[in-house]
Amino acid sequence: MQLRYDDDFVEAAVFLCASGRRPGATALQVRHFYAQRERCYSVADPDKRNAEFFQVHFDWFREWGLEPLLRGLLADYPLLEGSLNILGFRQARAPSEEGAELYVDAGNGRNAMVALRMERLERDSALLHFLRREYLHLHDMVDPAFGYSPRLNLGELNPTQRRLVRDRYRLLWDITIDGRLAPSDPLAASSRAAHKAAFDRAFAFWIEVRQSRVFEFHWTNARPLHDELLSLAADPRDLSQAAAPMPGGSCPLCHFPTFEWAESSALSPGIVSLLLGDFPSWTPEQGACKRCLEIYEIGGKQSAPT
Amino acid sequence: MSTVFNWQLGREMDFPYEAAYPNQQFAFVFNLNRCIGCQSCTMACKSTWTFSKGQEAMWWNNVETKPYGGYPHHWDVKTLDLLEKANPGGQKWEGAPRDLKAPYGEFKGKTIFEAAKTNISPEGAQKALGYLPTDEEWAAPNRFEDNPAGAEKSQRGQLSFKEGETSPQHKTWFFYLARLCNHCSYPACLAACPRNAIYKRPEDGIVLVDQERCRGYRKCMEACPYKKTYYRGTTRTSEKCIGCFPRVEGRDPSSGGLPMQTRCMSACVGQIRLQGLVKINKEGTWKEDRYNPLYYLIHVAKVALPLYPQFGTEPNGYYIPPRWVPRAYLKQMFGPGVDAAIERYATPDRELLAVLQLFGKDQRICFRYEIKEGPKIFETEIRGKKFTMYDDTIIGYSQDGVKIIETKVEEPFHVRPDKHANSI
Repeated sequence: MQLRYDDDFVEAAVFLCASGRRPGATALQVRHFYAQRERCYSVADPDKRNAEFFQVHFDWFREWGLEPLLRGLLADYPLLEGSLNILGFRQARAPSEEGAELYVDAGNGRNAMVALRMERLERDSALLHFLRREYLHLHDMVDPAFGYSPRLNLGELNPTQRRLVRDRYRLLWDITIDGRLAPSDPLAASSRAAHKAAFDRAFAFWIEVRQSRVFEFHWTNARPLHDELLSLAADPRDLSQAAAPMPGGSCPLCHFPTFEWAESSALSPGIVSLLLGDFPSWTPEQGACKRCLEIYEIGGKQSAPT
Repeated sequence: MSTVFNWQLGREMDFPYEAAYPNQQFAFVFNLNRCIGCQSCTMACKSTWTFSKGQEAMWWNNVETKPYGGYPHHWDVKTLDLLEKANPGGQKWEGAPRDLKAPYGEFKGKTIFEAAKTNISPEGAQKALGYLPTDEEWAAPNRFEDNPAGAEKSQRGQLSFKEGETSPQHKTWFFYLARLCNHCSYPACLAACPRNAIYKRPEDGIVLVDQERCRGYRKCMEACPYKKTYYRGTTRTSEKCIGCFPRVEGRDPSSGGLPMQTRCMSACVGQIRLQGLVKINKEGTWKEDRYNPLYYLIHVAKVALPLYPQFGTEPNGYYIPPRWVPRAYLKQMFGPGVDAAIERYATPDRELLAVLQLFGKDQRICFRYEIKEGPKIFETEIRGKKFTMYDDTIIGYSQDGVKIIETKVEEPFHVRPDKHANSI
């Protein structure tokens, strides 16, 4: 696996060291750094100048221990070395941009990119915590035992439901990540309360006992599985297994989740025959939401113009 | 450190270099009561100077919605906070206004240069107290646009503005703050540059970055309290507003050789801007020039005030404060002259009303004005004060005495001859 670094990332990182915001650079080193940089300004050709700047910055990136730090931590994630062709690092401008992404090319070659804000480099504890989390995300993604797949088989969910499932999946995955890191990473351990609060919000429809039990299971689960996380995120109330209409389940006709099911007595033979005309595989036992019923009631009262 | 005199603070202060003043100083007055946040100035500057690769996040001129907006985000709050931490509870003004040497009384607190002496920052020793904004803070130039302060929550949880606009000071308020480099008399960017790459031109006081000397240390970005220097990744140097110096020198082809106002001033749709060159005494105060419009607005009428004078850089951008904004906020931003400035602006006298007509009337710089008295046309009372309006004519002259502006206080009313189909 090759490590590659974006120019901007390396430059911003060494500037952080030179300015003293990341401790460790001596005054003499900083003077040497600026003196070496100074020479690059005199290179007329812009491409050559950029290359020289990169080389100077990269030399100091190594000298000030950043490259060894990023590389050294990878030893804890042995699968990455054999699975990835390239692991890149780039600068993120905002927290929402931060994270690790896995890219699979047409030939099934796998590359990854880690994006991070430069402020993370100011303190080793924050940087190492971030890197461990992102490396573990990548590690899970390339681990056959985890069974990751970027294609989430979510059936006929609408876009809002899909987003909800993705958010729940992300939360569950993050809980297992920080749970696994907690024994060796104090920052991961300290995130437990925040994760629990987010979990309780995401699964607010469960009783407290179940919330605590499921959270505890994921926080302490040393071997999480992609499919398990996904099925819990996609159907936390087992609505897909329900034989009859359930509050919050999807209407078999419009597929929108509903808490307003039509009474079975309201499904008159006339309406049922209209529904079966449009949905031949539908059965009255599956039920229908009140909105769908309304439409078919109105439709039944209308006649074709003569 | 040397000791220099800062007339905006009414006292001497520390500065890393010996005092040196230009013959004339680039200065401007913005009437914030008129700014509509249209960003014409911003785009005029952008399309003239910062449209190239590497300049994407450079907005030498920007208009931000106060109190929440700012570019970079929270630039002023962050510097004010650093000063407060360096001198807890001590950032105060005292004393009565005095002549040209202390028109706002005396500032007893610490400037960014003085606070830097006792402050240990993560960056090590600093020439001026400051911080380097993060990439995220530079990412969105017009964040919080039109977001008011003081919105009330109604019972249904909706934002409510009931009686929020009651005069004179609104409970619910915002205003647009147009900003560019203040071409300060004691520039913090210049003080902090380890390469001596920043200099102040003796002919007009415009502060420039020498691109040959700059090596992109970014100390200027850290030190400038107004955050008006920018790093360009493609050249690895810092860049900043150049005060459209070719125009100020009269080298723009359309100027006829006369000094012109900058692109941002000239493009202002709301006519909120008036830029000029003012004469400077050897000790740094303004030379008396009674009929220079800037001298009049700043030192005679005293309606235009410097932006955050307490920073200590003696900025040369002045603002007529927005009259609906709570005074405490304005006093923090423009110093103790706010009450008097707003009172005078709200019921302007004959001369002030005439001088306000000069804003945005011509692209060339007005060095002197003259008023020809006209008839009384209106009389009323504004919050207990008598206000009389005269239809005076104000004439503005360029550097060489050529008449460049002639306008009246009352907007002219033109009647088209009755020969067109759409004649009224």
